[in-house]
Amino acid sequence: MRKTNNVIKIKDFKVDKGLPFDQEYNFAYLDENTKKMIRRAIIKALCIPGYQVPFASREMPMPYGWGTGGVQVTASCLTKRDTLKIIDQGADDTTNAVSIRNFFKKTSNIKTTEITEKATLIQTRHRIPETPLKKKQIFVYQVPIPEPLAFLEPKVSETIKMHSLSEYGAMHVKLYEDISKNGHIETAYAYPVKTNDRYIMDPSPIPKFDNPKMNNSPAIQLFGAGREQRIYAIPPYTKVKSLDFEDYPFDPFKAEHACDICGSKNTYLDEIIVDDAGNKSFICSDTDFCNKRKNK
Amino acid sequence: MIIPILKVTNLSKSYDNIVGCKNISMSLYPGEVLGIVGESGSGKTTLINCLSGNLEPDRGKIIFNINNKETDFLNISESEKRKFIRTDLAFVHQNPRDGLRLNVSAGGNIGEKLMSVGYRHYGNIRSLATKWMNKVEIDKSRIDDLPITFSGGMLQRLQIAKNLITSPNVIFMDEPTGGLDVSVQARVLDLIRSLVNELNLTVIIVSHDLAVIRLLADKMIVMKNGTVIESGLSDQVLEDPQQEYTQLLVSSVLNV
Ligand SMILES: Nc1ncnc2c1ncn2[C@@H]1O[C@H](COP(=O)(O)OP(=O)(O)OP(=O)(O)O)[C@@H](O)[C@H]1O
Ligand SMILES: [Mg+2]
Ligand SMILES: [Zn+2]
Repeated sequence: MRKTNNVIKIKDFKVDKGLPFDQEYNFAYLDENTKKMIRRAIIKALCIPGYQVPFASREMPMPYGWGTGGVQVTASCLTKRDTLKIIDQGADDTTNAVSIRNFFKKTSNIKTTEITEKATLIQTRHRIPETPLKKKQIFVYQVPIPEPLAFLEPKVSETIKMHSLSEYGAMHVKLYEDISKNGHIETAYAYPVKTNDRYIMDPSPIPKFDNPKMNNSPAIQLFGAGREQRIYAIPPYTKVKSLDFEDYPFDPFKAEHACDICGSKNTYLDEIIVDDAGNKSFICSDTDFCNKRKNK
Repeated sequence: MIIPILKVTNLSKSYDNIVGCKNISMSLYPGEVLGIVGESGSGKTTLINCLSGNLEPDRGKIIFNINNKETDFLNISESEKRKFIRTDLAFVHQNPRDGLRLNVSAGGNIGEKLMSVGYRHYGNIRSLATKWMNKVEIDKSRIDDLPITFSGGMLQRLQIAKNLITSPNVIFMDEPTGGLDVSVQARVLDLIRSLVNELNLTVIIVSHDLAVIRLLADKMIVMKNGTVIESGLSDQVLEDPQQEYTQLLVSSVLNV
Protein backbone atom coordinates (compact mmCIF):
# COMPACT_ATOMS: atom_id res chain seq x y z
CA MET A 1 0.00 0.00 0.00
CA ARG A 2 1.23 3.43 -0.88
CA LYS A 3 2.03 5.88 1.88
CA THR A 4 0.16 9.16 1.86
CA ASN A 5 1.62 11.61 -0.58
CA ASN A 6 2.46 14.59 1.61
CA VAL A 7 4.79 12.84 3.99
CA ILE A 8 7.02 11.47 1.29
CA LYS A 9 6.98 14.66 -0.75
CA ILE A 10 8.46 16.79 2.01
CA LYS A 11 11.20 14.29 2.71
CA ASP A 12 12.02 13.74 -0.95
CA PHE A 13 12.31 17.44 -1.60
CA LYS A 14 15.24 17.53 0.77
CA VAL A 15 16.83 14.47 -0.74
CA ASP A 16 16.50 15.90 -4.24
CA LYS A 17 18.24 19.12 -3.31
CA GLY A 18 20.95 17.28 -1.47
CA LEU A 19 22.28 15.43 -4.51
CA PRO A 20 24.26 17.54 -6.94
CA PHE A 21 25.39 16.34 -10.33
CA ASP A 22 28.49 14.25 -9.91
CA GLN A 23 31.02 14.68 -12.73
CA GLU A 24 32.97 11.60 -11.70
CA TYR A 25 30.52 9.33 -13.50
CA ASN A 26 30.23 8.74 -17.19
CA PHE A 27 26.98 10.29 -18.50
CA ALA A 28 24.11 8.16 -17.14
CA TYR A 29 26.53 5.93 -15.21
CA LEU A 30 27.12 3.19 -17.79
CA ASP A 31 30.27 3.33 -19.94
CA GLU A 32 29.79 3.99 -23.63
CA ASN A 33 30.65 0.45 -24.73
CA THR A 34 28.02 -1.03 -22.48
CA LYS A 35 25.46 1.45 -23.78
CA LYS A 36 26.34 0.52 -27.33
CA MET A 37 25.81 -3.16 -26.55
CA ILE A 38 22.47 -2.43 -24.90
CA ARG A 39 21.36 -0.15 -27.76
CA ARG A 40 22.07 -2.95 -30.20
CA ALA A 41 19.87 -5.27 -28.13
CA ILE A 42 17.16 -2.60 -28.10
CA ILE A 43 17.28 -2.11 -31.87
CA LYS A 44 17.07 -5.84 -32.40
CA ALA A 45 14.16 -6.01 -29.96
CA LEU A 46 12.35 -3.26 -31.90
CA CYS A 47 12.84 -5.19 -35.13
CA ILE A 48 11.24 -8.34 -33.69
CA PRO A 49 8.33 -7.05 -31.56
CA GLY A 50 7.84 -9.08 -28.39
CA TYR A 51 10.92 -11.24 -28.87
CA GLN A 52 13.22 -11.45 -25.85
CA VAL A 53 16.74 -10.39 -26.79
CA PRO A 54 19.50 -11.53 -24.40
CA PHE A 55 21.95 -8.89 -23.22
CA ALA A 56 24.89 -8.81 -20.82
CA SER A 57 23.32 -7.13 -17.83
CA ARG A 58 25.75 -5.03 -15.76
CA GLU A 59 26.00 -4.74 -12.02
CA MET A 60 24.17 -1.59 -11.03
CA PRO A 61 24.48 0.28 -7.76
CA MET A 62 21.11 -1.09 -6.68
CA PRO A 63 19.90 -4.63 -6.00
CA TYR A 64 18.11 -6.81 -8.56
CA GLY A 65 14.39 -6.41 -8.18
CA TRP A 66 14.81 -2.63 -7.98
CA GLY A 67 14.62 -2.03 -11.69
CA THR A 68 18.19 -2.71 -12.78
CA GLY A 69 16.96 -3.84 -16.21
CA GLY A 70 14.86 -0.73 -16.74
CA VAL A 71 17.66 1.50 -15.45
CA GLN A 72 20.15 0.07 -17.94
CA VAL A 73 17.72 0.55 -20.82
CA THR A 74 17.00 4.12 -19.69
CA ALA A 75 20.70 4.87 -19.26
CA SER A 76 21.39 3.64 -22.79
CA CYS A 77 18.63 5.76 -24.35
CA LEU A 78 19.16 8.95 -22.38
CA THR A 79 20.61 12.05 -24.07
CA LYS A 80 21.45 15.41 -22.53
CA ARG A 81 18.32 16.92 -24.08
CA ASP A 82 15.95 14.40 -22.48
CA THR A 83 13.41 15.14 -19.79
CA LEU A 84 12.99 12.15 -17.54
CA LYS A 85 10.01 10.96 -15.56
CA ILE A 86 10.17 7.98 -13.19
CA ILE A 87 7.07 6.33 -11.78
CA ASP A 88 6.49 3.43 -9.46
CA GLN A 89 2.92 2.12 -9.12
CA GLY A 90 1.83 5.26 -10.94
CA ALA A 91 3.41 7.66 -8.46
CA ASP A 92 6.46 9.88 -8.89
CA ASP A 93 7.08 10.17 -5.18
CA THR A 94 7.49 6.63 -3.91
CA THR A 95 10.87 5.56 -2.57
CA ASN A 96 11.80 3.48 -5.58
CA ALA A 97 10.87 6.20 -8.09
CA VAL A 98 12.69 8.85 -6.10
CA SER A 99 15.87 6.85 -5.78
CA ILE A 100 16.01 6.03 -9.49
CA ARG A 101 15.29 9.66 -10.39
CA ASN A 102 18.06 10.80 -8.05
CA PHE A 103 20.40 8.27 -9.55
CA PHE A 104 19.94 9.79 -13.00
CA LYS A 105 20.11 13.35 -11.71
CA LYS A 106 23.37 12.57 -10.04
CA THR A 107 24.90 10.74 -13.00
CA SER A 108 23.54 12.71 -15.96
CA ASN A 109 22.31 16.10 -14.79
CA ILE A 110 19.27 15.94 -17.04
CA LYS A 111 15.91 17.62 -16.49
CA THR A 112 13.27 15.60 -14.70
CA THR A 113 9.54 16.08 -14.58
CA GLU A 114 6.44 14.58 -13.06
CA ILE A 115 4.28 15.66 -15.97
CA THR A 116 3.70 12.88 -18.47
CA GLU A 117 3.34 15.15 -21.51
CA LYS A 118 6.59 16.93 -20.78
CA ALA A 119 8.69 13.80 -20.45
CA THR A 120 10.64 12.48 -23.40
CA LEU A 121 11.62 9.33 -21.56
CA ILE A 122 9.55 7.64 -18.85
CA GLN A 123 10.65 4.68 -16.77
CA THR A 124 7.92 2.78 -14.98
CA ARG A 125 7.21 0.02 -12.59
CA HIS A 126 3.70 -1.49 -12.58
CA ARG A 127 1.74 1.21 -14.45
CA ILE A 128 1.19 2.99 -17.75
CA PRO A 129 0.17 6.66 -17.25
CA GLU A 130 -3.45 7.66 -17.80
CA THR A 131 -2.35 10.52 -20.05
CA PRO A 132 -1.91 8.89 -23.47
CA LEU A 133 1.70 8.44 -24.51
CA LYS A 134 2.67 10.26 -27.67
CA LYS A 135 5.00 10.20 -30.60
CA LYS A 136 8.74 10.37 -29.83
CA GLN A 137 8.29 9.40 -26.19
CA ILE A 138 10.26 6.38 -24.97
CA PHE A 139 8.52 4.32 -22.33
CA VAL A 140 10.69 1.89 -20.33
CA TYR A 141 9.20 -0.90 -18.22
CA GLN A 142 11.01 -2.57 -15.33
CA VAL A 143 10.52 -6.31 -15.71
CA PRO A 144 11.04 -8.92 -12.98
CA ILE A 145 10.20 -12.08 -15.01
CA PRO A 146 10.31 -11.63 -18.78
CA GLU A 147 9.29 -15.18 -19.72
CA PRO A 148 5.50 -15.57 -19.95
CA LEU A 149 5.88 -19.35 -20.36
CA ALA A 150 8.02 -19.77 -17.23
CA PHE A 151 5.13 -20.97 -15.09
CA LEU A 152 4.47 -23.76 -17.58
CA GLU A 153 7.96 -24.72 -18.59
CA PRO A 154 10.96 -24.17 -16.32
CA LYS A 155 13.56 -25.07 -18.97
CA VAL A 156 14.76 -21.99 -20.86
CA SER A 157 15.91 -24.08 -23.83
CA GLU A 158 12.36 -25.37 -24.15
CA THR A 159 10.63 -21.97 -23.83
CA ILE A 160 12.92 -20.58 -26.54
CA LYS A 161 11.76 -23.43 -28.77
CA MET A 162 8.11 -22.85 -27.89
CA HIS A 163 8.47 -19.20 -28.90
CA SER A 164 10.33 -19.91 -32.10
CA LEU A 165 7.72 -22.48 -33.17
CA SER A 166 4.73 -20.45 -31.88
CA GLU A 167 3.72 -23.34 -29.61
CA TYR A 168 1.43 -21.29 -27.46
CA GLY A 169 -1.54 -23.58 -26.87
CA ALA A 170 -0.53 -24.28 -23.30
CA MET A 171 -0.68 -20.53 -22.52
CA HIS A 172 -4.43 -20.83 -22.57
CA VAL A 173 -4.30 -23.53 -19.88
CA LYS A 174 -3.68 -20.82 -17.32
CA LEU A 175 -6.69 -18.84 -18.50
CA TYR A 176 -8.76 -22.03 -18.60
CA GLU A 177 -7.82 -22.73 -14.97
CA ASP A 178 -8.78 -19.21 -14.00
CA ILE A 179 -12.24 -19.47 -15.51
CA SER A 180 -12.81 -22.92 -14.01
CA LYS A 181 -11.86 -21.71 -10.54
CA ASN A 182 -13.39 -18.25 -10.54
CA GLY A 183 -15.92 -18.10 -13.34
CA HIS A 184 -13.82 -15.46 -15.09
CA ILE A 185 -10.19 -14.81 -15.98
CA GLU A 186 -8.74 -13.86 -12.62
CA THR A 187 -5.25 -12.88 -13.79
CA ALA A 188 -5.13 -9.19 -12.93
CA TYR A 189 -1.45 -8.34 -13.37
CA ALA A 190 1.17 -9.33 -15.93
CA TYR A 191 -1.69 -10.42 -18.17
CA PRO A 192 -0.07 -12.05 -21.22
CA VAL A 193 -0.37 -10.45 -24.64
CA LYS A 194 0.43 -11.38 -28.22
CA THR A 195 2.53 -8.76 -29.94
CA ASN A 196 2.26 -8.09 -33.67
CA ASP A 197 0.34 -11.39 -34.09
CA ARG A 198 3.52 -13.31 -33.31
CA TYR A 199 5.26 -13.39 -29.94
CA ILE A 200 3.53 -13.93 -26.64
CA MET A 201 4.90 -11.40 -24.19
CA ASP A 202 4.75 -10.63 -20.49
CA PRO A 203 3.83 -6.94 -20.19
CA SER A 204 5.51 -6.83 -16.71
CA PRO A 205 3.28 -6.60 -13.63
CA ILE A 206 1.08 -3.76 -14.87
CA PRO A 207 -2.63 -4.19 -14.10
CA LYS A 208 -4.57 -5.66 -17.00
CA PHE A 209 -6.47 -2.37 -16.96
CA ASP A 210 -3.40 -0.89 -18.67
CA ASN A 211 -3.08 -3.60 -21.35
CA PRO A 212 -5.15 -1.77 -23.98
CA LYS A 213 -2.82 1.24 -23.70
CA MET A 214 0.01 -0.83 -25.19
CA ASN A 215 -1.94 -1.46 -28.37
CA ASN A 216 -1.12 0.78 -31.31
CA SER A 217 0.68 3.27 -29.05
CA PRO A 218 2.60 6.08 -30.81
CA ALA A 219 5.41 5.77 -28.22
CA ILE A 220 8.36 3.38 -28.24
CA GLN A 221 7.88 0.79 -25.49
CA LEU A 222 10.99 -0.95 -24.12
CA PHE A 223 11.16 -3.69 -21.49
CA GLY A 224 14.28 -4.39 -19.44
CA ALA A 225 14.84 -7.41 -17.16
CA GLY A 226 18.15 -7.09 -15.28
CA ARG A 227 18.43 -10.35 -13.40
CA GLU A 228 17.12 -12.39 -16.33
CA GLN A 229 19.21 -10.39 -18.82
CA ARG A 230 16.50 -9.83 -21.41
CA ILE A 231 15.29 -6.82 -23.39
CA TYR A 232 12.14 -6.78 -25.49
CA ALA A 233 10.16 -4.06 -27.18
CA ILE A 234 7.00 -2.85 -28.87
CA PRO A 235 7.68 -0.42 -31.71
CA PRO A 236 5.22 2.44 -32.25
CA TYR A 237 1.82 1.58 -33.75
CA THR A 238 2.08 -2.15 -33.11
CA LYS A 239 -0.84 -4.47 -32.47
CA VAL A 240 -0.85 -5.81 -28.91
CA LYS A 241 -3.65 -8.21 -28.07
CA SER A 242 -4.47 -9.64 -24.65
CA LEU A 243 -5.05 -13.41 -24.71
CA ASP A 244 -8.58 -14.65 -24.12
CA PHE A 245 -11.23 -17.19 -25.13
CA GLU A 246 -13.90 -16.59 -27.77
CA ASP A 247 -16.59 -16.97 -25.13
CA TYR A 248 -14.61 -15.15 -22.40
CA PRO A 249 -13.23 -12.06 -24.11
CA PHE A 250 -10.54 -9.96 -22.42
CA ASP A 251 -11.98 -7.54 -19.87
CA PRO A 252 -9.78 -4.72 -18.50
CA PHE A 253 -11.45 -4.74 -15.13
CA LYS A 254 -11.89 -1.51 -13.22
CA ALA A 255 -13.16 -0.88 -9.70
CA GLU A 256 -16.72 0.51 -9.55
CA HIS A 257 -15.65 3.80 -8.02
CA ALA A 258 -14.66 7.30 -8.95
CA CYS A 259 -11.46 8.82 -7.63
CA ASP A 260 -12.10 10.47 -4.24
CA ILE A 261 -9.67 13.26 -5.08
CA CYS A 262 -10.31 14.20 -8.70
CA GLY A 263 -13.57 12.40 -9.43
CA SER A 264 -12.24 10.53 -12.45
CA LYS A 265 -14.37 7.52 -13.38
CA ASN A 266 -12.11 5.88 -15.92
CA THR A 267 -8.70 5.66 -14.27
CA TYR A 268 -6.97 2.91 -12.33
CA LEU A 269 -7.57 3.39 -8.61
CA ASP A 270 -5.60 2.47 -5.51
CA GLU A 271 -7.61 1.45 -2.50
CA ILE A 272 -6.15 3.05 0.60
CA ILE A 273 -7.08 2.91 4.25
CA VAL A 274 -7.45 6.44 5.48
CA ASP A 275 -7.93 6.14 9.25
CA ASP A 276 -7.59 3.79 12.18
CA ALA A 277 -11.24 2.79 11.84
CA GLY A 278 -10.39 1.07 8.57
CA ASN A 279 -12.28 3.46 6.31
CA LYS A 280 -11.28 3.17 2.68
CA SER A 281 -10.73 5.69 0.02
CA PHE A 282 -10.18 5.22 -3.71
CA ILE A 283 -7.71 7.48 -5.46
CA CYS A 284 -5.97 7.51 -8.83
CA SER A 285 -2.76 5.54 -8.80
CA ASP A 286 -1.41 7.97 -11.43
CA THR A 287 -0.57 10.94 -9.18
CA ASP A 288 0.36 13.28 -12.03
CA PHE A 289 -2.97 12.72 -13.77
CA CYS A 290 -4.91 13.09 -10.52
CA ASN A 291 -3.18 16.36 -9.55
CA LYS A 292 -3.77 17.87 -12.98
CA ARG A 293 -7.44 16.95 -12.98
CA LYS A 294 -7.98 18.18 -9.45
CA ASN A 295 -6.35 21.56 -10.22
CA LYS A 296 -8.42 22.15 -13.33
CA MET B 1 -3.45 -52.14 -51.67
CA ILE B 2 -3.35 -50.87 -48.12
CA ILE B 3 -0.46 -48.57 -47.34
CA PRO B 4 1.14 -48.94 -43.90
CA ILE B 5 0.46 -45.99 -41.61
CA LEU B 6 3.98 -46.45 -40.28
CA LYS B 7 6.91 -48.05 -42.02
CA VAL B 8 10.26 -48.42 -40.26
CA THR B 9 13.45 -49.46 -42.02
CA ASN B 10 16.77 -50.36 -40.41
CA LEU B 11 16.34 -48.15 -37.41
CA SER B 12 19.27 -48.01 -34.98
CA LYS B 13 20.02 -46.04 -31.88
CA SER B 14 22.89 -46.42 -29.44
CA TYR B 15 23.89 -44.55 -26.33
CA ASP B 16 27.64 -43.97 -26.68
CA ASN B 17 28.70 -47.59 -27.02
CA ILE B 18 25.62 -49.21 -25.49
CA VAL B 19 23.18 -50.57 -28.07
CA GLY B 20 19.64 -49.23 -27.58
CA CYS B 21 18.05 -50.82 -30.62
CA LYS B 22 19.59 -52.12 -33.82
CA ASN B 23 18.38 -52.55 -37.43
CA ILE B 24 14.69 -52.58 -36.67
CA SER B 25 12.33 -52.88 -39.62
CA MET B 26 8.58 -53.20 -39.32
CA SER B 27 5.26 -51.90 -40.61
CA LEU B 28 2.01 -51.02 -38.96
CA TYR B 29 -1.37 -50.74 -40.71
CA PRO B 30 -4.28 -48.46 -39.80
CA GLY B 31 -6.36 -49.90 -36.97
CA GLU B 32 -3.70 -52.36 -35.89
CA VAL B 33 -2.34 -52.84 -32.41
CA LEU B 34 1.31 -53.85 -32.29
CA GLY B 35 2.74 -55.25 -29.08
CA ILE B 36 6.43 -55.03 -28.24
CA VAL B 37 7.74 -57.51 -25.66
CA GLY B 38 11.16 -58.37 -24.36
CA GLU B 39 13.18 -58.47 -21.19
CA SER B 40 14.34 -55.42 -19.34
CA GLY B 41 17.01 -53.59 -21.32
CA SER B 42 16.06 -55.21 -24.63
CA GLY B 43 15.38 -51.82 -26.27
CA LYS B 44 11.58 -51.51 -26.17
CA THR B 45 11.54 -47.98 -24.75
CA THR B 46 14.38 -46.88 -27.02
CA LEU B 47 12.43 -48.05 -30.06
CA ILE B 48 9.11 -46.50 -29.09
CA ASN B 49 10.85 -43.24 -28.18
CA CYS B 50 12.50 -43.09 -31.60
CA LEU B 51 9.20 -43.75 -33.35
CA SER B 52 7.32 -41.12 -31.37
CA GLY B 53 9.93 -38.39 -31.76
CA ASN B 54 11.20 -38.41 -28.16
CA LEU B 55 14.60 -39.66 -29.28
CA GLU B 56 16.67 -39.01 -32.38
CA PRO B 57 17.81 -42.33 -33.89
CA ASP B 58 21.33 -42.69 -35.37
CA ARG B 59 20.25 -44.38 -38.60
CA GLY B 60 17.21 -45.65 -40.44
CA LYS B 61 13.97 -44.45 -41.90
CA ILE B 62 10.58 -43.74 -40.35
CA ILE B 63 7.74 -43.02 -42.77
CA PHE B 64 4.23 -42.20 -41.62
CA ASN B 65 1.43 -42.24 -44.14
CA ILE B 66 -1.66 -40.54 -42.80
CA ASN B 67 -4.66 -39.81 -45.02
CA ASN B 68 -2.47 -40.42 -48.06
CA LYS B 69 0.07 -37.88 -46.91
CA GLU B 70 3.56 -39.23 -46.49
CA THR B 71 5.75 -37.84 -43.73
CA ASP B 72 9.44 -38.66 -43.73
CA PHE B 73 9.69 -38.32 -39.97
CA LEU B 74 13.46 -38.04 -39.69
CA ASN B 75 13.84 -35.60 -42.57
CA ILE B 76 11.40 -32.84 -41.78
CA SER B 77 12.15 -29.55 -40.06
CA GLU B 78 11.85 -29.40 -36.31
CA SER B 79 8.76 -27.21 -36.46
CA GLU B 80 7.03 -29.60 -38.87
CA LYS B 81 8.02 -32.50 -36.67
CA ARG B 82 6.68 -30.94 -33.50
CA LYS B 83 3.45 -30.02 -35.24
CA PHE B 84 3.12 -33.58 -36.55
CA ILE B 85 3.72 -35.00 -33.07
CA ARG B 86 1.18 -32.59 -31.60
CA THR B 87 -1.60 -33.33 -34.06
CA ASP B 88 -1.03 -36.88 -35.30
CA LEU B 89 0.68 -38.77 -32.48
CA ALA B 90 0.04 -39.42 -28.80
CA PHE B 91 2.21 -40.91 -26.09
CA VAL B 92 0.95 -42.57 -22.92
CA HIS B 93 3.74 -42.82 -20.36
CA GLN B 94 4.14 -45.62 -17.87
CA ASN B 95 4.12 -43.08 -15.08
CA PRO B 96 1.09 -40.81 -15.57
CA ARG B 97 2.96 -38.05 -13.73
CA ASP B 98 5.28 -37.79 -16.75
CA GLY B 99 2.34 -37.12 -19.04
CA LEU B 100 0.28 -34.76 -16.88
CA ARG B 101 0.70 -31.35 -15.29
CA LEU B 102 0.21 -31.98 -11.61
CA ASN B 103 -0.48 -28.32 -10.80
CA VAL B 104 -3.26 -28.10 -13.39
CA SER B 105 -6.82 -29.41 -12.89
CA ALA B 106 -8.05 -32.60 -14.56
CA GLY B 107 -10.08 -30.56 -17.06
CA GLY B 108 -7.10 -28.31 -17.78
CA ASN B 109 -4.92 -31.34 -18.43
CA ILE B 110 -7.39 -32.88 -20.85
CA GLY B 111 -8.08 -29.49 -22.44
CA GLU B 112 -4.43 -28.61 -22.99
CA LYS B 113 -4.17 -30.97 -25.92
CA LEU B 114 -7.18 -29.28 -27.52
CA MET B 115 -5.80 -25.80 -26.89
CA SER B 116 -2.48 -26.84 -28.36
CA VAL B 117 -4.19 -27.68 -31.63
CA GLY B 118 -6.09 -24.40 -31.71
CA TYR B 119 -9.29 -24.67 -29.66
CA ARG B 120 -10.17 -21.22 -28.27
CA HIS B 121 -13.71 -21.66 -27.03
CA TYR B 122 -13.85 -22.35 -23.30
CA GLY B 123 -17.32 -23.88 -23.37
CA ASN B 124 -16.41 -26.32 -26.13
CA ILE B 125 -13.17 -27.33 -24.45
CA ARG B 126 -15.02 -27.88 -21.21
CA SER B 127 -17.74 -30.02 -22.73
CA LEU B 128 -15.28 -32.16 -24.68
CA ALA B 129 -13.22 -32.62 -21.51
CA THR B 130 -16.36 -33.68 -19.64
CA LYS B 131 -17.23 -36.14 -22.37
CA TRP B 132 -13.77 -37.69 -22.15
CA MET B 133 -13.79 -37.88 -18.37
CA ASN B 134 -16.95 -39.87 -18.82
CA LYS B 135 -15.35 -42.11 -21.44
CA VAL B 136 -12.46 -43.00 -19.13
CA GLU B 137 -14.84 -43.48 -16.22
CA ILE B 138 -13.81 -40.55 -14.06
CA ASP B 139 -16.75 -38.82 -12.41
CA LYS B 140 -17.27 -35.48 -14.13
CA SER B 141 -17.58 -33.76 -10.75
CA ARG B 142 -13.81 -34.20 -10.48
CA ILE B 143 -13.11 -32.00 -13.50
CA ASP B 144 -11.71 -29.10 -11.46
CA ASP B 145 -9.72 -31.25 -9.03
CA LEU B 146 -5.95 -31.46 -9.17
CA PRO B 147 -4.41 -34.75 -10.28
CA ILE B 148 -2.69 -35.14 -6.90
CA THR B 149 -6.09 -35.95 -5.43
CA PHE B 150 -6.48 -38.88 -7.88
CA SER B 151 -5.54 -42.53 -7.36
CA GLY B 152 -2.90 -44.17 -9.58
CA GLY B 153 -5.52 -45.84 -11.75
CA MET B 154 -7.48 -42.61 -12.17
CA LEU B 155 -4.30 -40.74 -13.09
CA GLN B 156 -3.56 -43.25 -15.80
CA ARG B 157 -7.11 -42.99 -17.14
CA LEU B 158 -6.79 -39.21 -17.09
CA GLN B 159 -3.57 -39.42 -19.07
CA ILE B 160 -5.29 -41.67 -21.59
CA ALA B 161 -8.16 -39.18 -21.98
CA LYS B 162 -5.71 -36.34 -22.45
CA ASN B 163 -3.97 -38.26 -25.22
CA LEU B 164 -7.00 -39.50 -27.10
CA ILE B 165 -9.15 -36.37 -27.07
CA THR B 166 -7.65 -34.97 -30.28
CA SER B 167 -8.12 -38.27 -32.18
CA PRO B 168 -4.43 -38.91 -32.87
CA ASN B 169 -3.60 -41.25 -35.72
CA VAL B 170 -0.94 -43.33 -33.96
CA ILE B 171 -0.82 -43.87 -30.21
CA PHE B 172 2.26 -45.06 -28.35
CA MET B 173 1.99 -46.63 -24.92
CA ASP B 174 4.99 -47.63 -22.84
CA GLU B 175 3.87 -50.10 -20.18
CA PRO B 176 0.62 -48.22 -19.54
CA THR B 177 -0.33 -50.57 -16.72
CA GLY B 178 3.19 -51.24 -15.49
CA GLY B 179 3.22 -48.82 -12.60
CA LEU B 180 -0.23 -49.68 -11.29
CA ASP B 181 -1.34 -51.94 -8.46
CA VAL B 182 -2.32 -55.33 -9.77
CA SER B 183 -5.85 -54.70 -8.54
CA VAL B 184 -6.33 -51.69 -10.83
CA GLN B 185 -4.34 -52.97 -13.82
CA ALA B 186 -7.27 -54.98 -15.10
CA ARG B 187 -9.59 -52.00 -15.14
CA VAL B 188 -7.18 -49.78 -17.08
CA LEU B 189 -6.45 -52.60 -19.48
CA ASP B 190 -10.14 -53.15 -20.01
CA LEU B 191 -10.61 -49.49 -20.71
CA ILE B 192 -7.79 -49.45 -23.26
CA ARG B 193 -9.28 -52.48 -24.94
CA SER B 194 -12.74 -50.99 -25.23
CA LEU B 195 -11.38 -47.67 -26.53
CA VAL B 196 -9.25 -49.48 -29.09
CA ASN B 197 -12.30 -51.36 -30.32
CA GLU B 198 -14.71 -48.44 -30.20
CA LEU B 199 -12.42 -45.92 -31.88
CA ASN B 200 -10.48 -48.32 -34.10
CA LEU B 201 -7.20 -46.95 -32.75
CA THR B 202 -3.78 -47.61 -34.20
CA VAL B 203 -1.50 -48.42 -31.27
CA ILE B 204 2.03 -49.50 -30.48
CA ILE B 205 2.14 -50.83 -26.96
CA VAL B 206 5.18 -51.93 -24.97
CA SER B 207 4.70 -54.42 -22.21
CA HIS B 208 6.55 -56.95 -20.12
CA ASP B 209 3.32 -58.71 -19.62
CA LEU B 210 2.41 -61.26 -22.28
CA ALA B 211 -1.14 -61.36 -20.99
CA VAL B 212 -1.49 -57.68 -21.91
CA ILE B 213 -0.18 -58.39 -25.40
CA ARG B 214 -2.47 -61.38 -25.83
CA LEU B 215 -5.45 -59.27 -24.82
CA LEU B 216 -4.72 -56.19 -26.93
CA ALA B 217 -2.27 -56.82 -29.74
CA ASP B 218 -3.01 -58.06 -33.25
CA LYS B 219 0.68 -58.33 -34.05
CA MET B 220 3.74 -58.52 -31.89
CA ILE B 221 7.48 -58.31 -32.00
CA VAL B 222 9.87 -59.89 -29.54
CA MET B 223 13.06 -57.96 -28.77
CA LYS B 224 16.36 -59.09 -27.31
CA ASN B 225 19.60 -57.13 -27.05
CA GLY B 226 18.17 -54.34 -29.16
CA THR B 227 17.04 -56.45 -32.10
CA VAL B 228 13.79 -58.06 -33.17
CA ILE B 229 14.18 -61.81 -32.85
CA GLU B 230 10.64 -62.84 -33.71
CA SER B 231 7.55 -61.17 -35.09
CA GLY B 232 4.10 -62.09 -36.38
CA LEU B 233 0.45 -62.25 -35.45
CA SER B 234 0.23 -62.37 -31.66
CA ASP B 235 -1.92 -65.48 -31.59
CA GLN B 236 0.59 -67.31 -33.72
CA VAL B 237 3.67 -66.15 -31.85
CA LEU B 238 2.13 -66.91 -28.48
CA GLU B 239 0.76 -70.32 -29.56
CA ASP B 240 3.69 -71.44 -31.59
CA PRO B 241 6.85 -69.50 -30.85
CA GLN B 242 9.72 -70.27 -33.22
CA GLN B 243 12.66 -68.89 -31.28
CA GLU B 244 13.97 -70.63 -28.21
CA TYR B 245 13.98 -67.34 -26.31
CA THR B 246 10.33 -66.71 -27.13
CA GLN B 247 9.43 -70.25 -26.20
CA LEU B 248 11.08 -69.71 -22.85
CA LEU B 249 9.29 -66.42 -22.39
CA VAL B 250 5.90 -67.87 -23.30
CA SER B 251 6.22 -71.01 -21.25
CA SER B 252 7.46 -69.19 -18.20
CA VAL B 253 4.59 -66.76 -18.17
CA LEU B 254 1.50 -68.13 -19.81
CA ASN B 255 1.43 -71.66 -18.54
CA VAL B 256 1.53 -70.84 -14.87
N1 LIG C 1 19.65 -42.71 -21.55
C1 LIG C 1 20.39 -43.82 -21.67
N2 LIG C 1 21.75 -43.75 -21.60
C2 LIG C 1 22.49 -44.85 -21.74
N3 LIG C 1 22.00 -46.07 -21.96
C3 LIG C 1 20.67 -46.20 -22.05
C4 LIG C 1 19.79 -45.09 -21.90
N4 LIG C 1 18.52 -45.52 -22.04
C5 LIG C 1 18.60 -46.84 -22.25
N5 LIG C 1 19.89 -47.26 -22.26
C6 LIG C 1 20.36 -48.62 -22.49
O1 LIG C 1 19.83 -49.07 -23.72
C7 LIG C 1 19.39 -50.40 -23.62
C8 LIG C 1 17.90 -50.49 -23.95
O2 LIG C 1 17.18 -49.80 -22.94
P1 LIG C 1 15.62 -49.56 -22.99
O3 LIG C 1 15.27 -48.60 -21.92
O4 LIG C 1 15.23 -49.23 -24.36
O5 LIG C 1 15.08 -51.01 -22.61
P2 LIG C 1 13.61 -51.51 -22.25
O6 LIG C 1 13.41 -52.72 -23.08
O7 LIG C 1 12.65 -50.43 -22.36
O8 LIG C 1 13.79 -51.94 -20.72
P3 LIG C 1 12.72 -51.93 -19.52
O9 LIG C 1 11.85 -53.12 -19.75
O10 LIG C 1 13.55 -52.09 -18.30
O11 LIG C 1 11.97 -50.65 -19.57
C9 LIG C 1 19.75 -50.85 -22.21
O12 LIG C 1 20.99 -51.50 -22.24
C10 LIG C 1 19.85 -49.58 -21.45
O13 LIG C 1 20.73 -49.72 -20.37
MG1 LIG D 1 11.31 -49.46 -20.93
ZN1 LIG E 1 -7.84 11.06 -9.21
